[in-house]
Amino acid sequence: MFKKTMLIAAMGVASFGAYAENVPINGEVQSRCVISTDTPGVYGNPNAYTLTTAAADGGVQPIVRFDVTLADAYYAVITAPDSFSSSPSLPDVVTFTGDTEVSAVSDAANMGSYETNKVEYGMTDKYDLTATGSTWFTTSSVATMGGSKAFPGGSYTALVVAECIAQ
Amino acid sequence: MTLLLVVGTAHAHEMTPTYPELKPSFVSGVYQTTMEMFNKRQDVEWYEIGVFDKDFNAIPFVSSFKILNLKYLGHVRFDLYIRAEDKDRATYVCSKSKLRKEDSTKTAVSSRICSKFK
Repeated sequence: MFKKTMLIAAMGVASFGAYAENVPINGEVQSRCVISTDTPGVYGNPNAYTLTTAAADGGVQPIVRFDVTLADAYYAVITAPDSFSSSPSLPDVVTFTGDTEVSAVSDAANMGSYETNKVEYGMTDKYDLTATGSTWFTTSSVATMGGSKAFPGGSYTALVVAECIAQ
Repeated sequence: MTLLLVVGTAHAHEMTPTYPELKPSFVSGVYQTTMEMFNKRQDVEWYEIGVFDKDFNAIPFVSSFKILNLKYLGHVRFDLYIRAEDKDRATYVCSKSKLRKEDSTKTAVSSRICSKFK
C-alpha cells in the first residue's frame, strides 16, 4: 500500500513537472542590412580573348540581394571587378568593363527610382536605400585581353564587392 | 514560388547593431562597444573586422578577433575597444567577407557591412 502511494505520488510530481516546464524563446528585432549572394556569377568564354558574364555568351551574371529593415539608413555600394583575384599568368593587359543594375525590388512604388537615382563613379554604383524591403542587383562584367591575345587555360576568379554602409 | 526558391538558396551576411554606441570601458581612456554577426554564407568562413574614419582610413582598435572564423549559420558577439583619442574620428565599424581561392571560372561576391557609430 505504501509503495503504491509513493508511486502515485511520484507520477503526480513527474507529470506536474512536465506541465510546469517553460522553454523560453528570446528574440530581439534590430534594424539591419543583410547582404545575400543569390547567384554567384560565371564567366563565359565566347572567343579566345574575352571572358563575359553575358548569358548569350555562356556566362551567368552575379545577383546580390540587399534586405533592409530601416528606411533611409543605408547605402548599397556595388563595385564590378576591375581585376582578377586569381588567374593563370597573363600574356598582356586585361581591360575590364562592368555595370550594376537593379534587377528586382520588393516594393515597386517606393523603390522604383533606385536605378535612376544611383550615383556611378568608375566601376562603382551607389544606391540610396530609401525604403525597407529587398532589392536585387545584377552586375555584368567583361574582361578583354589586350592585343586580341588568347586567355591561357586555367581558372579565373574576379570579385564583385557588395557593401552596405550605414548613413 | 520562384521568389521562394531564390530566397531559399541565398547566402547572407549580417552585422548588428546598425548604430553602435561607444561607451567607457573598464580601462581608463578606452571606449568599447559590442557587435554581433551572423553568417549565412555557406561559401564564407572568415570575416575581417575593421574600424574606419569618415574617409575609410583605418583606425587602430583592439578586439578578440580581427579576422574571425565564423562557421555557416554561426553567431558571434565580440567587443571592440578604441582609444579615447580616436573616439571622435571613429565613424564606421565594418565586417568584410574573406574569400578563398576557388578552382572554377567565376565571379565571386565579397560582402562588406559597415555600421556607423552614434
